[in-house]
Order: sequence, then structure tokens, then C-alpha cells
Amino acid sequence: MKKWAEVALGVVTSIGGFLEVGSIATSAQGGAEFGYQLAWVLVLGTMSLAILMEMTGRLAAVSQRTYADLLRERFGYRFFLLPLVAVFVVSLLVVISEIGGVSIALQIATGIDFRWWAIPTAIVGWFLLWRGNFTIVEQGTAMLGLVAISFAVGALKLHPVWPTLGRAMLPSLPSHDRARYWYLAVSILGASISPYLYLFYSAGAIEDEWTIEHLGVNRVTAGMGNVFGGGLAIATLVTAALVLAPREIKVDRYEQIALVLATPLGRAGLVFFIMTLFITCFGATLEIVLAMAYLLAQGLGWNWSENLKPDKDARFATSYSVLILLAALPIAIGMDPLTLTNISMVATAASLPVTVIPLFVLMNDGDLLNTHVNGWPSNLALVVIALLSIVLLVAALPLQLLGGG
Amino acid sequence: MLQPASTRTTRLYLALTVLLVGGGCGSPPPLDKQLETLASWTATMQLAKERHGAGAITITYATQLRDRADEAFQQASTTIGQSAQTHSDSAYAAAALDSLRTAIRQLEAEIGS
Repeated sequence: MKKWAEVALGVVTSIGGFLEVGSIATSAQGGAEFGYQLAWVLVLGTMSLAILMEMTGRLAAVSQRTYADLLRERFGYRFFLLPLVAVFVVSLLVVISEIGGVSIALQIATGIDFRWWAIPTAIVGWFLLWRGNFTIVEQGTAMLGLVAISFAVGALKLHPVWPTLGRAMLPSLPSHDRARYWYLAVSILGASISPYLYLFYSAGAIEDEWTIEHLGVNRVTAGMGNVFGGGLAIATLVTAALVLAPREIKVDRYEQIALVLATPLGRAGLVFFIMTLFITCFGATLEIVLAMAYLLAQGLGWNWSENLKPDKDARFATSYSVLILLAALPIAIGMDPLTLTNISMVATAASLPVTVIPLFVLMNDGDLLNTHVNGWPSNLALVVIALLSIVLLVAALPLQLLGGG
Repeated sequence: MLQPASTRTTRLYLALTVLLVGGGCGSPPPLDKQLETLASWTATMQLAKERHGAGAITITYATQLRDRADEAFQQASTTIGQSAQTHSDSAYAAAALDSLRTAIRQLEAEIGS
């Protein structure tokens, strides 16, 4: 019974945690400019993330060490600096965007300019991290994040054309504006397969004291949670495809996205949009800042746990305190949150190889995983994701320049 | 002295970035992109007016949309002339600007600002 409760909680956490500023913005932009056509990218991103989360969760449960710990232990400190710096830089960009998302939600609700909300958001976030524990951060915000289901309700009320949507689940080439299409595809993949998601998941498995007994929970959480979470991102794309695309409205500013829920759901839709943007971005802010502090602490061998009091892991606590306040500054001085989101999602996509490729080595290490090493289907899937990550690395910068504007 | 391939690749990427970003600075976006943006904001204003009329959005939110559309209008007003090469281009640009100005005014009338 306890196992099923853990499974249910894990799935709910994944659903609530999937949607955040990047997936909302890129799905809405994709739907507005290309209708359903980019739905296949969300399917690909969701499947890739589910596979990576299952593997990093299995690795942590069996070896009793996080993925970051193992990266340093098995590949040496000099190699570890590469993923450390790459993930750190892109995660910082993403957390700035998340604070931007929270601030825009508060601006839409109150009319007070988003810049004024960045620092208060960081302070409240810091207070929760300082005083709260891992359960509050992981499950509290994810539970509230279930309000994102309003996107699915909105999509259903707009009566999507199911056969057309079904066909869009398979890759297709654009009929116009190819650079923009592939740029949005890379952005959507960056939003779906953020390294912080599986690094946080791996650290969470240790925080939640997972063992080999939890491998089933891990499989269901990673699989079902991401399928439902990815479904919400597809619902966001569908609402934009049905509300914005027919009117030829492109998403140039976050404020325009609220119309996709206010159209099918009326005033409640606007309220749900504000709540969804606020809660999911706030939850992601906490998770990313923690993931960055985990990465630093695990990489440098400090004490770390969100369940310890700050005086027991002072360097870890100092790291997240500094990071969250630092991340608020660019929004406070008026950087455009949507531009920042797009850049950070493309940068995230480009950073994937440094965390995906080493996973292949670790998942085939019998000393670490005994009988739980990857079988050939898992290895095949990981090779495909690794190749995809290399393509994203090569394509990211040219597409940012050609299709980003 | 020969440099490692990774250093050369990094420099190539940096040079490409500087060239493309630098080349992009100072020159306005192409006319078709600017016309698309203006049409997009015109449609946004029309949808906001319709949604406000149906009671689906607040005045606070509608005002923010109006402000963002106004920013797009002001920006296009200063750059679109440079992108218009012919008389017909200029006519399209003027019509697009006029449509957005009208849509903004209609939303303002709807929300009473």
C-alpha cells in the first residue's frame, strides 16, 4: 500500500513538475506559429526525459550515490568540471527565466510591472529553501502545480481535430519558415530535456532514501509522470494552435499566452493561467536552485541535504541562498523574460551531451549496478538520445541566429 | 603554433556569433517580419477586445496587452520606414500601422481607458 502511495505521489510530482516557463513558452510559440505540427517534438522530448530520469533514478537507487557524485568519482575531477560548468551556466539562465515567469504572472494579476516582483520572489523562495525540507520543495509545489491540468481542459473545450493531432505526433517538415521551425523544435527539446530535471531527480532519490526496492516506483514515476506531464505540454501547444494560429497571433510577449486559456475557459481561464505560470515557475525556481547547489556540493564533496538544517551544510545552504538572489537581478533590471527563456532553452539543448554521453558508461558499469545494468533496448535508446544531443549541440547556435528573431 | 581543434572551433563559433549578431545590430528587421509583427498585435488587440467584452479578461490584463501593443507600434513606427524599399512597401507599412493604431483605440474604448 505504501509503495502505491509512493508511486501515486511520484507521478503527481512529475506531472506538476513537468510544466514550467520553458515548456509553456515554447509550446505556445510552436502552436501559434505551426499549429499542431511540432507536437512530435514534445513526444520525442518527453520520451527522452522519461528514459534519462529512469536511468539516473535507477543509478541512484542501486549505487546509493547521485549521478553528479558518480560523474566525479568515475571520470575524475577534471572531467567533472565540464558538466559542472555547462549545467551550472544553463541552469542559471533557466532559473532567471523561471523567476521571470513568476514575475510576469504577478504582473498580469496585479498590473505592477514584473521587474518589481523579481527580488520579492527570490526572497520568498530563499525563505522556503532555508526553512523548509525536500518534501515541501518537491511535493508541495508539484501538488499545487496540478492546476496546470487547466491546459488539458482548455484544449478539450476547443475540440481539437484528433486525426490531425495524431498525425502531428510523427515528424514532418515545415511548409514555411524552416529556420524558425527547427529553432522552435530545439527550444522545445531544451525545455523538455533540461539536465536539472534528471540531476534533481537523482538527488531526490537519495534524499528520499530509495533502494533497490524502489526500482518499480522509479520506473512508473519516470514513465507515467512524464507521459502525463508531456501531455500537458501538448495541451498547451493545442490551445495555442486553436486560439492563436487561426488569428495569426505570434507569441512575442508572455502576456499574449494568457489568451489561450481565457478564450476557452473565460475569466476562470485567465485565473488558471496566472496560477499555473506562478506555481510551476516558482516550483521550478526552487528545484533548479537546489539542483545547482546539489551539483556544486556533490562535485566539491561538501555536506548536502535539503533535509538538514542550514548550519549542518553551511556551504550548500550558502550556495542556494546566493544563487536565488543572483538569479533575480537580471529580471529586476528589466531583461525581457521571453527572450531570456528562448535563449536559455536553446543553451540547455546545446548542453545535453556533457551529461547524456557519460551516462552511457555509468549505466553499463557492472561494479555499480550489478544485475541492473542497461539491457540492449535501454542502451539503444540512450545512444539515440546521445546522438540527438550532439545534433542539438551543433545546431543550437546557428538556429539561434537564424530562427531566434 | 598549431592550436588544439577545440580552441579553433570555439574561436570560429565566437567569430560567427560576433559577425552575425554585430551584423544584425543597427539594421531593422525585414519588412515582411515587421508586417507580421504588426498584424499579430492587431489580432491580439481584436481578441483582447472580444474577450473583455465577454467578461473573460480583466481591465488590468487588457491594459497590459494594450501597453505591449503600443510598444510594438512605437518600435515599428521608427524602423519600418527604413525597411520599406518601394512606394507599395511604404503603403503596406502605413496600412499595417494604421490597422494596429485603430485596434489599440478600439480596445481602449472597450476598456474605457
